[in-house]
Amino acid sequence: MNKQRETTKNHSSRPHTNVAAKLLAYFIRHLQQGIGSLGDLWRTPFTSVMTILVLGISLTLPATLHVFVKNAQSISQQWESASEISLFLKLSTSEKAAENLVKRLSLYPEVASVKYISAKTAMEEFKTTSGFGQALDYLSTNPLPATVLVIPTKHSSQPQAAEELLQKLTNEREVEQGKLDLEWLTRLAAITTLIEDIVVGIALLLCASVVLIIGNTIRLAILNQRDAIAVMKLVGATDSFIQRPFLYAGAWYGVLGGMVAILCVTALVHYFSYSLVALTDLYQSNFSLIGLSGGEMLWLLLFAIVLGLSGSYISVRKHIRAIEPTAE
Amino acid sequence: MIRFNQVNKTYPGGFVALNNVNFSLAAGEMAFLTGHSGAGKSTLLKLMSLMEKPTSGSVHINGVNLSSVSYSQVPFVRRGIGMIFQNHNLLMDRTVFDNVALPLVIEGFGHKETKKRVEAALEKVHLTSKIRCYPHMLSGGEQQRVGIARAIVNKPPILLADEPTGNLDPKLSLEIIKLFEEFNDLGVAVLIATHDLGLIARLKYRTLTLKQGAMINDGLVEGLQGGSDE
Ligand SMILES: Nc1ncnc2c1ncn2[C@@H]1O[C@H](COP(=O)(O)OP(=O)(O)O)[C@@H](O)[C@H]1O
Ligand SMILES: [Mg+2]
Repeated sequence: MNKQRETTKNHSSRPHTNVAAKLLAYFIRHLQQGIGSLGDLWRTPFTSVMTILVLGISLTLPATLHVFVKNAQSISQQWESASEISLFLKLSTSEKAAENLVKRLSLYPEVASVKYISAKTAMEEFKTTSGFGQALDYLSTNPLPATVLVIPTKHSSQPQAAEELLQKLTNEREVEQGKLDLEWLTRLAAITTLIEDIVVGIALLLCASVVLIIGNTIRLAILNQRDAIAVMKLVGATDSFIQRPFLYAGAWYGVLGGMVAILCVTALVHYFSYSLVALTDLYQSNFSLIGLSGGEMLWLLLFAIVLGLSGSYISVRKHIRAIEPTAE
Repeated sequence: MIRFNQVNKTYPGGFVALNNVNFSLAAGEMAFLTGHSGAGKSTLLKLMSLMEKPTSGSVHINGVNLSSVSYSQVPFVRRGIGMIFQNHNLLMDRTVFDNVALPLVIEGFGHKETKKRVEAALEKVHLTSKIRCYPHMLSGGEQQRVGIARAIVNKPPILLADEPTGNLDPKLSLEIIKLFEEFNDLGVAVLIATHDLGLIARLKYRTLTLKQGAMINDGLVEGLQGGSDE
């Protein structure tokens, strides 16, 4: 009955506006209120900054772990197909015996290709890359073994199959020691799965605490505005009208906290990249860390906004209803 | 417009604030509500504005039985009542314009219409020049008039005032009452709660008198009939 009264009143006040203009006005009003509540955050700068930092840092941890998992997965994918078995031959092995071995190995059905690196070639390569250079000339004998690099077929590249192949190859008479590059890969895969589980667990806990913290910040904001809210209720404001700026504030916490998280993750990836440069140079790999993609940044931001909104929504539901106008 | 039917109000703790109150106020009527401090005047106004619920009996406002109003409908009932209090209840961090505009913003009026109505309301209370001021820059009487402008800006059919002249000297009080008379002339029903019997005596209006929660008189107060009260 009273709702009807209100709508007819609104109609009479703006009789000729069409739907598009109304929508536009509605949109502009929300935009104004949204920007206005960004100003509200500024009224309590300390609390706001703390809340934003808590949100940002809380999201940084799972996001960084996610980046780690992503990189580990990309490494596994790069290497799984190109897993390589290095066979170090006994120092006593003659050139001829080595060639014989290479021939035999290439006949293995599990082997795709075989590459022989003689002790001399290995020494030369070591001289140029190690930086010891001329100093190595003073060695009377070559301490490096000849090496045979075995690339398994695609089928035999899987961790389990490659492991079996390695076993077979090390049984060859000329082979001193065999090393499968997959070993650490398998470990990496296991660690990655573990970290993925940890990420989910930590993320859930952190999200819960972020929602609670934002809820508490919004609660304080509501209590600060207690008198104003009472007056608004007195002159006929609905709860949804009163709660709107607080929901906007929650969303803003999300936006700003999400940006903090993106900055932190990017900074961390840069930092890790530097320490990785040393490591990857050592392995002569052209591997570099992949940071957050644009899409992932958007998801992170969106997620932060959802958290901010949920926190403020819970708070708003509970505390705005509790405020009643008084005549005094 | 306003109808009380066998209304009782007992506060938690057992204090009987209203005792079997019956009265009604027609559309466009103006009346005073008097009685000693503690007689139940504020309680009666609170029942009308849904700040309190009656223990028994029914209150009708603008044709709506308030006991059937759900929580979410409360704001819409309140929009039909302009309320004015002794301590004006203004938002101190907002300008006079924003304070008066509040009910219109809440109802979603457009910018132009809001401006027009706020200016009209402030003109009626003779405060056009203070439109950009903050409440703390105004005198008590001016603040009270801002409260009145806010109460009438969305043109409610009912105006309730609780001790609107409580802090003002007799001359300012009379000016405030004159304002209410002007709105009454425009067809608004006005109910003013006050214990200032001197003020009522100078005007010839219907007067409802409460004593310890009971309505003991409903009619014209002639001369200084209740003068010994305060
Ligand atoms: N919330 C409350 N709880 C308990 N008693 C109250 C409450 N509000 C008012 N009262 C009591 O009800 C009586 C009537 O109060 P009120 O309606 O404010 O009177 P008036 O406005 O006429 O001075 C007073 O004695 C007061 O102490
Ligand atoms: Mg009172």
